[in-house]
Amino acid sequence: MNKIQQDLRLLPRHFKKVAFGIMLLSALLVVLSILQVLTIDKEIVKTIAKSGFLISLLLFVITRNKIEDELTLRIRLKAFAASFIYGVGIVIVEPFINLLFGDSFLSDKGVTELLISMFFFYFIMVFLMKRNR
Amino acid sequence: MKNTVKIQRAIKGLTQESLANKIGVSRQTINSIEKNRYIPSTILALKISKEFDKNVNEIFELEEED
Repeated sequence: MNKIQQDLRLLPRHFKKVAFGIMLLSALLVVLSILQVLTIDKEIVKTIAKSGFLISLLLFVITRNKIEDELTLRIRLKAFAASFIYGVGIVIVEPFINLLFGDSFLSDKGVTELLISMFFFYFIMVFLMKRNR
Repeated sequence: MKNTVKIQRAIKGLTQESLANKIGVSRQTINSIEKNRYIPSTILALKISKEFDKNVNEIFELEEED
């Protein structure tokens, strides 16, 4: 098996710290905005915080863990597949849920929220599969 | 697919951790292989058999349902 087939080309471990930093900055921005320390428009803060949160989650996912071998690679790929299916499922099911329970139940769910929920689904899948390996 | 990794490891007096370190995987991966929860890649199967000085067929064996 050549390197291209074998590897997922994950980022080095120190990117976890970068991801954690971006997440903290995003949270700090939201907190400062709520406390009205920052006088930036709330929509701009919301957009920056969402993007920061999304980037940090992406970095957490594509950064190498302490132990990486073919079993963890398989777990990663299965979790990626599962979260993709989850995302498609949500997009398909959401209009029907809105029809049944009204728009308020799952309304205001944009692409960012969907992606964030997909990331969380990925983390849950990885956790469960690693626990049961 | 069944395997005799656990037996071969016991014969050699290796722990899961030491075998894992020798072939460059985690201890959990060795545990999963021994419990037939994970079928290793060809490369890993060859590494394991090399570690035990055996042929792959002597360690990994196909079952009826495979």
